[in-house]
Amino acid sequence: MESLAVVLLAVFSAGYLVLAGADVGVGMLLPWLGRDERERRLVIASFAPFFLGNEVWLVAAAGLAAGAFPGLEHELLTELYPLFVVLLVGWVVRDMGLWLRGRVDAAAWRVVWDGAVVAGSWALALAWGSVLGSVLGGGGLNAGSVLGLPLALVFAWHGAGFARWRLPVGLAGRAARVGGVPSRYGVSAVVLAVAPVVAGVRLPWSESAADGAGLTMTAVVTVVVLPLLVAAQALVWWTFRGRVESPSYL
Amino acid sequence: MGGDGLGLAQVQFALTAGTHFLFVALTLGLATLVALMQTRAVVSGGAVHERMVRFWGQLYVVNYAVGIVTGLVMEFQFGLNWSGMSRVTGSVFGAPLALETIVAFFVESTFLGLWIFGWDRLNRWVHLGLIWVVTLTAYLSAYFVLVANGWLQRPVGFEMVGGVARLTDAGALLTNPTAVVAFFHVLFGGLLTAGFFVAGVSGYHLLRRTAEVEFFRRSMRVGLVTVIVSVMPVVIFGGMQFEYVQPTKSGGHDAAAAVADFTARFGPDDYTPPGLTDVGAGLMMGMWSLMILVAAVALVKVWFGRWLVRGRVFHILMIASVPLPYVAMLSGWVFREVGRQPWTVYGVLKTRDALSPGVGSGALAASFVVFTVLFAGLFVVNGWLLARFARRGPGGAGLGGSPPADPADPVEPPVLSPTF
Repeated sequence: MESLAVVLLAVFSAGYLVLAGADVGVGMLLPWLGRDERERRLVIASFAPFFLGNEVWLVAAAGLAAGAFPGLEHELLTELYPLFVVLLVGWVVRDMGLWLRGRVDAAAWRVVWDGAVVAGSWALALAWGSVLGSVLGGGGLNAGSVLGLPLALVFAWHGAGFARWRLPVGLAGRAARVGGVPSRYGVSAVVLAVAPVVAGVRLPWSESAADGAGLTMTAVVTVVVLPLLVAAQALVWWTFRGRVESPSYL
Repeated sequence: MGGDGLGLAQVQFALTAGTHFLFVALTLGLATLVALMQTRAVVSGGAVHERMVRFWGQLYVVNYAVGIVTGLVMEFQFGLNWSGMSRVTGSVFGAPLALETIVAFFVESTFLGLWIFGWDRLNRWVHLGLIWVVTLTAYLSAYFVLVANGWLQRPVGFEMVGGVARLTDAGALLTNPTAVVAFFHVLFGGLLTAGFFVAGVSGYHLLRRTAEVEFFRRSMRVGLVTVIVSVMPVVIFGGMQFEYVQPTKSGGHDAAAAVADFTARFGPDDYTPPGLTDVGAGLMMGMWSLMILVAAVALVKVWFGRWLVRGRVFHILMIASVPLPYVAMLSGWVFREVGRQPWTVYGVLKTRDALSPGVGSGALAASFVVFTVLFAGLFVVNGWLLARFARRGPGGAGLGGSPPADPADPVEPPVLSPTF
């Protein structure tokens, strides 16, 4: 049951990094991909229908960790307290920027919230880089916490790969390369999917696993509903396939 | 770690949960009303019903955003500040939280994205189905959260093995009366909140004699009917919970016996809940008394359309009543949560022992300041936006792209016309 829970946690973490990694990356590149207000709104529309369905993978991963590995959840969060505070603040600031930017029709308002999207996306990516680096470096705040920071650029690279698909033909060209590296969604997706698995190998799973019926209930129910979750996500992808041509609600 | 850390962590959690719940209460009720409105719109094909979905749906979405981000922070706060709880009781308490995120919230959020962005792009029956899935998973979410909370109030179905709780009876956990009865209490509380909200906003427009008379007459009726339907069930399900209330909260002989028992098992301590508990209970019941009076007025008014459109005092009364269910909701939570103290898990784990041991007061204080400022900002900006969209009326809704033409809005045509 415990190994099943580890596999499920890997699925949800990888799902989060691959899917949300793309919209975080596009948020980081917003000033470069969209040079005026109209373009920026299109850039945001490229991932707008996905971002809600993307971040739930992390919420589910955290929920799964709380239910199946309560010891690990508190150990990671406590050891890396400042990083997770930055991560959460970045996440909240970014989401509020997305929700609010389109709600008032004034240039200054949009500038403020576009800024929040960019700053929040960078904070989120840097915090993830640092968290992954810290875990790889042996746990707690260590050299890896700093060495992990460049991992944030993988998010930007991944976002460019996504933007290349979704932006209108005229804008998509800007996303073809990031710092001279050609953007390839498939390649960056593999990197982001492997990252939590590699980091996870170093974690003490059995010491921190939940005990008794709680673990069984969590793991079994998750396996049962997983196909449904994937189907819901597939419906989103199918509905919003193809290039974005016009701005969205955000 | 000194007592300051404990107090800070408690206040931080209370502020996060309080802000979260203020918005979630309206989310639960308003999602239901929007789903019903959309059902009517799809079945009848009426333009006014379609516009009602867009307008109230817009307010629902603005409101939802705050609920979601405060909820995210709350989920992580358990691990950040209250690791003692996950260490001792995580095997039990974590399970309903996991199910909430995976079975309920995941689906709710994914389908809400489809509902918002798939407007005019999906078949209208599919689009209607989406809002119903969003509504039902929102209730499922509330149920699982209350299973977790109900277990803190009245721990069941577990055994302690080597100082750690272990779930032995999942059925007992999921059917815990402190969870199930509280769920229906919250369900009708959410409907009451949404009913007063819809009636209050409608009252504002009818009072100001804006152009949308038919729109807000219909909306006023929806609000009043919702209030009338939920005002009694909320108090019935509230009252039913007293049967399971903790002895130290209810007082009397049982309280003395419970204190003696706790003292024998956990050593001497102050086992009586803080005085704030009774303030919460009193305020909640006071608000309900006011709401039943307003509901009586609603019962008189609701039958005739003309009676809803007229009556300045009535409109002002409905506007003034919007805060009542909010105050009742918050004070109800104070009664429930403060009344459980000094326990986090009643009779199992004290709040002081649930606090993360390794986190210094400095880090806690810094995160407290950051999140408090952030949430205060969100609260103000979103409150302002809600009021702004409510005031502007159906012409101002941005949901679903260009709504049916509304000549009342002289704003220059936007350069970009959203198509979905």
